[in-house]
Amino acid sequence: MAEPLTVALPKGRLTDDALVFLARAGYAVPTNGDGGRKLVLDGADGRLRYIFVKPSDVPVFVEYGAADVGVAGLDVLRESARDVYEPLQLPFGYCRLVVAALPRGISGSAGGIAGGKGDHPDRPLRLERSPRVATKFPRLTEAFFRKRGIAAELIVMSGSVELAPLVGLADFIVDLVQTGTTLRENGLVELRTILESQAELIANRASYRLKAAEVRELIDALAGAVAVGDKKLRIEDGGNDVRR
Amino acid sequence: MDRPLPEGVRDLLFADTAAFRRMETALQATWSAWGYREIHLPTFEYADTLATDVGSEMDAELYRFFDRQGRTLALRPDMTIPTARVVGTRLYDQPMPLRLAYTGSVFRYEPPRAGRQHEFGQAGVELIGAGGTVADAEVVALAAAALQAVGLPEFGITLGHVGFFRGLLAGLALPERLTARLQEAVARKAEAELVRLLADAPALPPVARQAVLALPRLTGSAAVLRDAEAVCLNATMMNALADLRSMAALLDAYGVSDFVTYDLAEVRDLGYYTGITFEGFAPGLGFGLISGGRYDDLIGHFGPPCPAVGWALTLDRLLLAREMQGIVEPEPRADVLLAAEPPAGAAGYQDGAVGAASGTGGRCQACLGWAAVARGRGLKVEIDPLGLSPEALWQAARARGIPRAAYFAGTDGKATITVRAHCGAVSADWRSIAADDWEEMDRWQNR
Repeated sequence: MAEPLTVALPKGRLTDDALVFLARAGYAVPTNGDGGRKLVLDGADGRLRYIFVKPSDVPVFVEYGAADVGVAGLDVLRESARDVYEPLQLPFGYCRLVVAALPRGISGSAGGIAGGKGDHPDRPLRLERSPRVATKFPRLTEAFFRKRGIAAELIVMSGSVELAPLVGLADFIVDLVQTGTTLRENGLVELRTILESQAELIANRASYRLKAAEVRELIDALAGAVAVGDKKLRIEDGGNDVRR
Repeated sequence: MDRPLPEGVRDLLFADTAAFRRMETALQATWSAWGYREIHLPTFEYADTLATDVGSEMDAELYRFFDRQGRTLALRPDMTIPTARVVGTRLYDQPMPLRLAYTGSVFRYEPPRAGRQHEFGQAGVELIGAGGTVADAEVVALAAAALQAVGLPEFGITLGHVGFFRGLLAGLALPERLTARLQEAVARKAEAELVRLLADAPALPPVARQAVLALPRLTGSAAVLRDAEAVCLNATMMNALADLRSMAALLDAYGVSDFVTYDLAEVRDLGYYTGITFEGFAPGLGFGLISGGRYDDLIGHFGPPCPAVGWALTLDRLLLAREMQGIVEPEPRADVLLAAEPPAGAAGYQDGAVGAASGTGGRCQACLGWAAVARGRGLKVEIDPLGLSPEALWQAARARGIPRAAYFAGTDGKATITVRAHCGAVSADWRSIAADDWEEMDRWQNR
């Protein structure tokens, strides 16, 4: 038997869905019995070796060939700008990367982005005045504002981004939103969507060639699992696409 | 003292430098056996020259600076453009084809990845003045021969042709924006995205639709060349396929077809290459090791237009790939550490005290002649400059991985060498042999 393909899976909200689809595609997946402590797990059928890594690290593992394939959200994939193939989109992990702000400073003018600093509610903030933007996605945020001619002052955070406008650290935040509940609870309003994200299967460029047969088998099997899932969802939902 | 290195450069120490030299020597032996002649290119040129048509990506990666007249110079980001300049301005009327080769550092502002810093070692060849698949196949076969010659056990080369995708784009005649999106999706092998793209182009005829959807699968063994025939929309695509079929036969004759796979959806550097393209990979490296292709439009920027095909490989990555496959360069070291016995009545050993070398310089004379002969026979001889005692000399040899310590004594005709050797895990005791026992000494090499 050939060497197993190494697949990098993101620890966290995408893990379970990724394992479900791999199982549906006919691959032996590790069970949860190990308490999640082991970092490298071999599938019982010897076709896949699983490594569980921080979501934002998946593209790195795959770009370097430390993993042949991986599952990553489009958000971290675009943020990391790593050179990997993206053969398949997977129907889970849906979320949006949005610009949000406190409502107090929002001007009535159509299309204009403005936000309010919590501690200076009366001072109108003009876009050209380098708004401070808190985010975990500096590359995408920078590109978004730069494209609009705005020199944003980025405040790169590793957690609790929603807090930043509440305490006057930032005018805007750029953050991931699934349902929008967290933003609403903190009194923040979505202004723009930067990216619609979902899970993607990614592949290393060298593995795609040197292990072509195994990688192709995985892509096709997963594509099959996705197609079956789509059909089932549509039937259950009377023809409507429930993913939206 | 704190003396940091600037970002993007590295020192190579002994074993790595030896490995670099070994790889370069193997490459030079290979390409010169194929009739390629090496040229030496300047490290920097006018930025205008180097930025010619290289596309915005490489333009952003240039290291730029000014000369005293304020003209912008740049460090070479690759060797192909300087080579094209040399051909276009100096060699254009020479008998064609020209077979050129080079090795040296190139400089790019890009994040360090897989052994590649801002400065990295590149070696490559260009076959200039010959179009057609015979020239293409020669260059690809030479790439395989070069990788074999540097002792890389496992690698693969993926062959593509820009004509196939260009022909497809022409056949589809999509609006510009859709074309850009399509190319992007194909570059990322984003199969699902292709489906969605086609939804935005409802007017496309079914054959064109089928050709787009088939693209991601047109990668693999030579069998994909057959599969691809079914989706050809025009002569451009047919011609690209014909080229690749002809290449397949030639590469078979070269005996390298086991290394070669095909990818008709390879769209990197679409604006730069004009015919075949290829990229080489090694297991575990994750990144491309060698890349090349046909670029018939480049030399025309510097002189009369001239067809050309070539490749360049990254020496730093080759070194990594070799290590990943278990090839480790041994630490270079001498075969013997040699000292002279102090003459009777002398003050004795200095054991490296300050001034020892000058104080005992005279003692050494007797052994220098012997060392010269031994070096002439290929033995690597280090001479102790510190006046070490036998025990200290032995320890010094051990500490530096030199397998033998030796003392030279006596004069012409009756000289002896007293030697102690470390072989495997065993250290022998001191023993004396005649200084002209070259049979024994020759065995000291290449253990």
